[in-house]
Amino acid sequence: MSIVPFRRRIVLLLAFVVAWVAGSALGATEPARRASAAPLFQLEAAHAEYVPVLDGSKPIFVLVIGSDARPDQAVESQRADAVHIVAINPAEHQATIVGIPRDALVDIPGYGQNKINAALFFGGPDLVVESVEELTGLRMDYWAMTGFASFEAMVDDVDGLVVDVPFAMSDEASRAFFDPGVQTLDGDNALAFARNRHDLPSGDFGRSEDQGLLMVSALAQLKKEFNQDPARLLAWVASFVRHGTTTLSLDKVLDLAFTGTTINANKVVNAVFPGGTGMVGAISVVTLDGGTLDAISKDLADDGILKKANVPPSPNESLLGG
Amino acid sequence: MTPNRVQRGESKKRRLPLALLIVPIVLVGIGVAIFLMLGGDDVPIIGGDDEVTPPFDFIVKGASAVATVPHADEATLASTAEDVAQEITPTIDDLFTNGFLDPSNWRDGDYEEVFATFAPDAVATAEESVETLTLGATAGDVFATVDPGKSKLSYQVLFDPDGAVETAVVTVVFRATAERKDGTYLAIVSEGEFFLRQIDGWTITAFDVKRDDHETQPPSPSASTPPSG
Repeated sequence: MSIVPFRRRIVLLLAFVVAWVAGSALGATEPARRASAAPLFQLEAAHAEYVPVLDGSKPIFVLVIGSDARPDQAVESQRADAVHIVAINPAEHQATIVGIPRDALVDIPGYGQNKINAALFFGGPDLVVESVEELTGLRMDYWAMTGFASFEAMVDDVDGLVVDVPFAMSDEASRAFFDPGVQTLDGDNALAFARNRHDLPSGDFGRSEDQGLLMVSALAQLKKEFNQDPARLLAWVASFVRHGTTTLSLDKVLDLAFTGTTINANKVVNAVFPGGTGMVGAISVVTLDGGTLDAISKDLADDGILKKANVPPSPNESLLGG
Repeated sequence: MTPNRVQRGESKKRRLPLALLIVPIVLVGIGVAIFLMLGGDDVPIIGGDDEVTPPFDFIVKGASAVATVPHADEATLASTAEDVAQEITPTIDDLFTNGFLDPSNWRDGDYEEVFATFAPDAVATAEESVETLTLGATAGDVFATVDPGKSKLSYQVLFDPDGAVETAVVTVVFRATAERKDGTYLAIVSEGEFFLRQIDGWTITAFDVKRDDHETQPPSPSASTPPSG
């Protein structure tokens, strides 16, 4: 065995070992640096949400009409027990509800002065819209209507409405018997709550506010249920379409419902056009306060939001202790 | 020894140091190459772009119909709802495969295919929600592998008064296990709802998705979940 080949083998072996170690080290260097440069992975619960709200560039006005049609009666050709302007500002996530007492004396296009509730009987929901537009100067984008039976069914379809009944009610005519406080009203009780006026000091005005309260309660419930299970939106939309009558397409109803889920129900202003009661011949009527009506209408026109200064006192103030 | 042999011998003696220089360099190169090919999970594998996406399919737990007319033909609507579920499921399979499982997407943080499923109005919010809707923009820096787990879908289909499909809501529970480069494991859990409508194919118009990722133990070999069918 010669010395030189032996040395060469040793050198080559050493070189290979050095190469293996060096190669491994070099191979490991780059990823180790990358790993250390990597950002910490966030473990906090993440959440992503998008709902297609209606175009927020202008307020949306929906006239909500409650027909006094009994079961087996066509809702379009009876009288309107409830008339509410619902103004929605999608961009600001705000809404305003303004009730028009059903006995309000207004100009009904083509029929002269009469109670607003007669407009439905004379010309259906389109004439109610025309009358309200003439009264307020506000243009209604859509109308939606329901009757007694369909309203009850609508409420029952969503398993009742959770309502904070603001004061005790005991009215035989509407069968509204409620203790104050938060309670779930089924369709029958919700209708009774909406119809009661005999034990309200402000009668028709107070009733209109209560009807608005039901809408605010429904909005709060929709939002709550949607947050817990977004698929519940379909039950609400289906219930509305199944039992209501509207100019809104199903697409729009869906978008409106999505929009509703973005509105803070606690900030919804629920108001009623104020006025006084009087008689025209033998008929009891409501005369709206023209100045307040104009101020509210003009305030709503630009953004659908009613400024605090223009919010009239609650007609149920005496019962609320305010 | 002839002069030629002497010269050759001297010549060999002169070449030996050169070989000693070249051989280690070559071997270092070979060593690096071998390490990269056989090394641990915390280095990029050569040919990583060709990594196989683990096969994945959601388990469909059911589809229900939501009618908008009283006395609807429930049986027909239920059957149509099942058909709709079958139609949409590949879209949702792809959404989560592209968002969480395809290494060529998550290694580069490129989820273009995911966002193509969203409607134009929703896509901006979806892109802003990349960390929730996908494995994340920097997932390639953090994770070595991702394996799907048992994941399920259920459907509610809204029909218009004429019985046509209006909107479908898909409730999703997606699970996967991701191994980080440091050898620890993260359970990926994505839960939520997607609203889809037919706009040039099934398109997501609204969504509400939450992530509930948490640390987890390495999966035992017997606990690996085969893709559901």
